[in-house]
Amino acid sequence: MAPLSLYGVSNSLVSTLLLHLAAVLPAPLSTLLSNGDLILLLSVLVFCGTLLGASLLNTILLIWFERKMLGRFMDRRGAMHVGYAGLLQNFADGLKLFRKHTFRPQDADPLGFFSAPTAYMVASIVMFGILPVSTGWSAGTLPLSLLLALVVFSFAPLFIFLGAWSSANKYSLIGGMRSAAQMIAYEVPILLAVVAVVLLSGSFDLTTIVNEQRNYWFWGPLFLALIVFVAGMLAEMERIPFDLPEAEAELVEGWNTEFGGMLFAFFMLADYARALVGSYLIVLLFLGGWTLPSWVPAPLTNFPLAGIFWFQVKTYLVFGVFIWIRASLPRVRTDQLLRVGWMRMIPLSLLSIVLAALVVLAKCLPVFGCLPSMGS
Amino acid sequence: MSESTTAESNSSVLWVAKPLITAARQFGKSLLRPSTIVYPFERLEDPKFRGAVRIAPGKPIGVGQVWDNYRGVHALNIETCISCNLCAFSCPDLCIDMVTVPGGDPKHPKKCPQIDYGKCSYCGFCSDACPEGCLSMTTRYELSVSKRSDMIYSPQRLEEVFKAKLPMSPIRVERPKNEDAILLDPPLCIGCNACARDCPTKCITMVDLPKPVAKAGEKLPKRIWKEPVVNDSDCVRCGTCISVCPKECLFWGTHR
Repeated sequence: MAPLSLYGVSNSLVSTLLLHLAAVLPAPLSTLLSNGDLILLLSVLVFCGTLLGASLLNTILLIWFERKMLGRFMDRRGAMHVGYAGLLQNFADGLKLFRKHTFRPQDADPLGFFSAPTAYMVASIVMFGILPVSTGWSAGTLPLSLLLALVVFSFAPLFIFLGAWSSANKYSLIGGMRSAAQMIAYEVPILLAVVAVVLLSGSFDLTTIVNEQRNYWFWGPLFLALIVFVAGMLAEMERIPFDLPEAEAELVEGWNTEFGGMLFAFFMLADYARALVGSYLIVLLFLGGWTLPSWVPAPLTNFPLAGIFWFQVKTYLVFGVFIWIRASLPRVRTDQLLRVGWMRMIPLSLLSIVLAALVVLAKCLPVFGCLPSMGS
Repeated sequence: MSESTTAESNSSVLWVAKPLITAARQFGKSLLRPSTIVYPFERLEDPKFRGAVRIAPGKPIGVGQVWDNYRGVHALNIETCISCNLCAFSCPDLCIDMVTVPGGDPKHPKKCPQIDYGKCSYCGFCSDACPEGCLSMTTRYELSVSKRSDMIYSPQRLEEVFKAKLPMSPIRVERPKNEDAILLDPPLCIGCNACARDCPTKCITMVDLPKPVAKAGEKLPKRIWKEPVVNDSDCVRCGTCISVCPKECLFWGTHR
């Protein structure tokens, strides 16, 4: 049996459906329906729709997970009443936001104000098409998918600044400024930490990077890079303790002060989509993606969709660590944030590159084993 | 300089590590059962919470109990109510109305308190003032309603609370012995019987006065030759007699 892939499933589904329809329908319609291009188009559409729907569903479940887990950290239960254990609470909240009136402050620039949330949302959910969730479950294999992912990921904050600037509010503007400063300060260490991973795996392709981790996951030798990457991701996601751009106590709601209703829902959803994507990236680069170590018994890795299952388990564990950090640490000051970013993170990431180069030179490590690409 | 740097780095590691450990401990503690009680579906009175929650040191909550002197919904025993109006008189929020209940005689209908919980502040003055102990506060704390008019508890509803035999709040303090008494200004009295008629405890009796003999040229006052005598031990000091007296001849005072 060929390995299950999302595109294969949607393609066979669409072609079977269309061919059955063509057999029933009269002549001009049947030739139209059995056209190969139409089948291709429809199966791509089904593929994209399924991917988008599943990713957004996963994002909303992530919000539920955060609410519940944060509740446990605070000795309470979180959402309880809508659906089983509050599973449907976020859908109810989303519906409420859908129904709300969308308004614009008088001085706000309409083009920027209305396009920023949409663009931010789009730039965030495009990531789901780039990142492979399991073998055969991504939009395609790109030789530079890691680079593309990082570019798209660091592109989104531009729209935060656009929204902040165009809402004509000083709190929004300060929040947007902080966001921009923070993103730039933490973009560099993130990229440098990724260089260490690239050195070890010898590829920019995320699928290859995951496959290169079959002997050992990269987080062991590259622990320093992992720490830098996680801290940088926290700053990129604007989560506590790096949530300066939306510091409620100082800036009302930061750059999304003026956004209400559907526009706010867009920002909120895109924020959590970015959080999910950040967790995906950490799992892909450092935690072996959808693979499990070879000592894990076969029944745990052989069932259908095992790759996606373990990938999600790892993702939620990583996000659980983010929630843990959120529940524990207070917000840092801007100067502390920037000083740590420029003066600690960058030297640390450079050091991790040196370490990665040493690992590549040594080829085999005492505890972890050998790199697969070195011909062992 | 180097010392201060190390101290700083130590403290910054602690700054991150300590709260993380504290939060993880809290998470482990509340993972299986957080402290929150899912209130409308679970309540403190459930046996499974027996001893689980302490609202005061060394005093675990028991089944069907809230705090001992919790002041909740009133319970009214209509049978023993004497319609003395003291509860309504003592209410600082003016939330008690005396409304007619069936069972009185047609000329002098029986009136019992009706309480508007939208206004009530649960101070307990009414149950303190009640001379017969028929209005008291229970430990029932669930008062949410969906209509404003449902906040008004008629005497019948209050009596239902009484019949539910809920634990009563023992807040009734022994009042200091009231030295005040109803006194009479005899020359003003016309013996009209209004006070004796309206006294809720029937502690006023009209006693006959010897009709004086008119001297020459003197005109006797036009009155009934009777005078109220108040039985102080039965009197609840409600003041009804004072308020019904047409000649204002009754007043508060002390016996000398």
